[in-house]
Amino acid sequence: MNEMMNKRESIIAEANRLRWELGENFHDTLMQNIYEHATEIEKKAVKYPDAKEVFSFDRTLDKILTSKFLGFPIMFLMLGVVFWLTIQGANYPSGLLSNLLVDTIHPALKTFALNFDLPWWLSGVLIDGAYLAMAWVVSVMLPPMAIFFPLYTLLEDFGYLPRVAFNLDPLYKKVGAHGRQALTMAMGFGCNAAGVIATRVIDSPRERLIAIITNNFSLCNGRWPTQILIATVFIGSAVPAYLAGIVSAAAVVFIALLGIAFSLIVSWFLSRTLLKGEASAFSLELPPYRPPRIFQTLYTSLIDRTIFVLWRAVVFAIPAGMLIWLVANVSIDGISIANHFIQYVNPIAFVFGLNGVIFLAYIIAIPANEIVIPTILMLTVANLGIQGVGAGSGVMFELESASDVATILQSGGWTLLTAINLMLFSLLHNPCSTTIFTIYKETKSWKWTLVSTFLPIAMGLTVTFFVTQIWRLLTN
Amino acid sequence: MNEAMLLLFIGILFLLFIAILFYPEKGLLEIFKKSRYANQKVLLEDALKFLYDCEYNNIPCTLNSIAGNLNISADTAAEIVSKLQNMGLLNANRDFLLLTSEGKSYALRIIRVHRLYEKFLADETSMNEKEWHKAAEEVEHKLSDEEVNKLAAQIGNPVFDPHGDPIPTSKGEIPEKAGKHLNEMEPGEMATIIHIEDEPHTIYSQIVAEGLYAGMQVRMIESNEKRVKFEANGEECILSPLIAKSITVGPIKLEKPVEGKLKTLSSLKVGEKGIVLGIAKSLRGQQRRRLMDLGIVPGTEIEAELESISGDPVAYRVRGTTVALRKNQSEKIYLVKEEEKN
Repeated sequence: MNEMMNKRESIIAEANRLRWELGENFHDTLMQNIYEHATEIEKKAVKYPDAKEVFSFDRTLDKILTSKFLGFPIMFLMLGVVFWLTIQGANYPSGLLSNLLVDTIHPALKTFALNFDLPWWLSGVLIDGAYLAMAWVVSVMLPPMAIFFPLYTLLEDFGYLPRVAFNLDPLYKKVGAHGRQALTMAMGFGCNAAGVIATRVIDSPRERLIAIITNNFSLCNGRWPTQILIATVFIGSAVPAYLAGIVSAAAVVFIALLGIAFSLIVSWFLSRTLLKGEASAFSLELPPYRPPRIFQTLYTSLIDRTIFVLWRAVVFAIPAGMLIWLVANVSIDGISIANHFIQYVNPIAFVFGLNGVIFLAYIIAIPANEIVIPTILMLTVANLGIQGVGAGSGVMFELESASDVATILQSGGWTLLTAINLMLFSLLHNPCSTTIFTIYKETKSWKWTLVSTFLPIAMGLTVTFFVTQIWRLLTN
Repeated sequence: MNEAMLLLFIGILFLLFIAILFYPEKGLLEIFKKSRYANQKVLLEDALKFLYDCEYNNIPCTLNSIAGNLNISADTAAEIVSKLQNMGLLNANRDFLLLTSEGKSYALRIIRVHRLYEKFLADETSMNEKEWHKAAEEVEHKLSDEEVNKLAAQIGNPVFDPHGDPIPTSKGEIPEKAGKHLNEMEPGEMATIIHIEDEPHTIYSQIVAEGLYAGMQVRMIESNEKRVKFEANGEECILSPLIAKSITVGPIKLEKPVEGKLKTLSSLKVGEKGIVLGIAKSLRGQQRRRLMDLGIVPGTEIEAELESISGDPVAYRVRGTTVALRKNQSEKIYLVKEEEKN
């Protein structure tokens, strides 16, 4: 036995000695040999059909898509078309779903609850809270995602998107990121959670983390309506009527561009500080162009992206809906929790040019940015005790006319400054809970999840704080 | 002063405070961390390491040289030496200091952690190579044996650190010193750089700035008291003898010697083809593995296919696929152009 052990020890010692003699390069040599063998075998065994023509078509297309004059115009055109199709195409089905889930089924459920004598609090929590939040999320989230994701996947499948990354890479290289971050950012305009999942295409660990943390700065589908509504109501009405449309649209575009600028600045900052030491390896494959497989694309993007994201959103919306209803309806000393909170936080929020309602709405409407405005409206009405608007305490609602929204918000003390700050804060705040959960799933790290959650909040508070102080200095 | 002005002022002060606290390297938080790290144990271990280095390189070691190397006063150095003696790690003769066998194995353990960690930083992170040494200096005093072995296993039990130094095994074995200093080479002689000394930092960063690294092939042109002139991978390079002393060279192994200046992949124009000769040593770890995974190994045919709008990155055709590489990578891949091959 002892002899065996000695023998083993001496073999290990000999092996160690030989490893030193082998030098550092043996891994490389090994790899080279493997490739040489593989090439030999390939030469004997594989015959290629005459594929020259396809290849030259690829080259011509590549030359056009990455050319100095046509490269960027084609890119902006393509993205413009995708966004236009998404926004225009989603309007109708969204209205339809909202009609069905919010305007038809919700009252039906209420009647049903009345008939069965359900206690008011139970029907409140379940129907006005959980069901309504879920219905809202589904009706506003599903149609744009069901259009945007397949379009994006088609472009990806065809092989165009890697060329976009190729063209934009110099910009991203400057800020220490990967060209493919352009694609994940574009995906983020549809949905940040999907954008975070899309970062899987970035195979370098450091650049992938950068893309995950900064994805939230892409103004997602759930925040566009907020921006458009607030810009129309407050910024559009602050300028002469004939300019209203242009100015409010410009304000929204400005916010979106500001988001892109922030994502580049934060990428630059992260790659030089927090993420300086993380491993990095760049390579960008340009796959051959392929005719897109339409049905397969539709199927996979619906299952992999749309349903997946929607399911996570619904899972988070249900408890949040209950919470929203509860804070508006549970009272301590005759005042609801929501009103306690709003009164308590108002002075702090004032420093940031916002108000307690907005803070509370951003906390309890964390599952989806889509329900922030309905929550704000509900809380404002409940807080001021306005009668005849909305469907009761704790029930989220939306209004058809923008001027009604303006009336409610103005009676809640909103000014042009509040509106601007809300638009900024809507861009710069924590990602929705679905995205936060997805970030955790993708990074498997609490540290990076917390950074991506709190960094945007800190930035949002800083920006709104300084905007507010400077605004007040100038207007006083 | 009105309220907005006051708040604005407070806000700016707050941002300044955050910046001072968290500023990388010079921030209060970093300074606090560093001050905690400079303690007695660290000094003792650094002294051991230095003593071992002296013995390995056959240089006599004195109290003064310890004080100089660790940047401490002669009194403190004497204190440390007597402590090491009491611990049974050091024998002090009249003239010079010698480590006991316990002292040697202790020193080797520290050196093992240091070199392993440098290897880890080189391969698994993108930390700048000038910063490896400093980071390893801190970590070497902190890791337990178990953590070290885990780290070694994680990076595949390497036997050399990125400077070309052998890494002691967990049992404290290390091969005999090999090679000679660069300035000892004869004109016309060819050799491979096997080691670049990373201390002192000022000299090391000059060598790094010249683009020299372990594994490069050198051909001596002239070496005298004033200057050392040589070719490294075909590019002419002049160093002072003092600096050249920090570079150790050994006989050429494995690769064929390279004559003349090498072409790089970045010099290929669109449509031109080349045969890969090798990837520079300075592309390490993940980056190197990625390139090799893509099939960029010696003998592979590669063609520049497409330039992006600004000319960087460039897409190359390798083994039937098209891959875009950035310039900072393609200028580290050596090749011969197709028309020059025959």
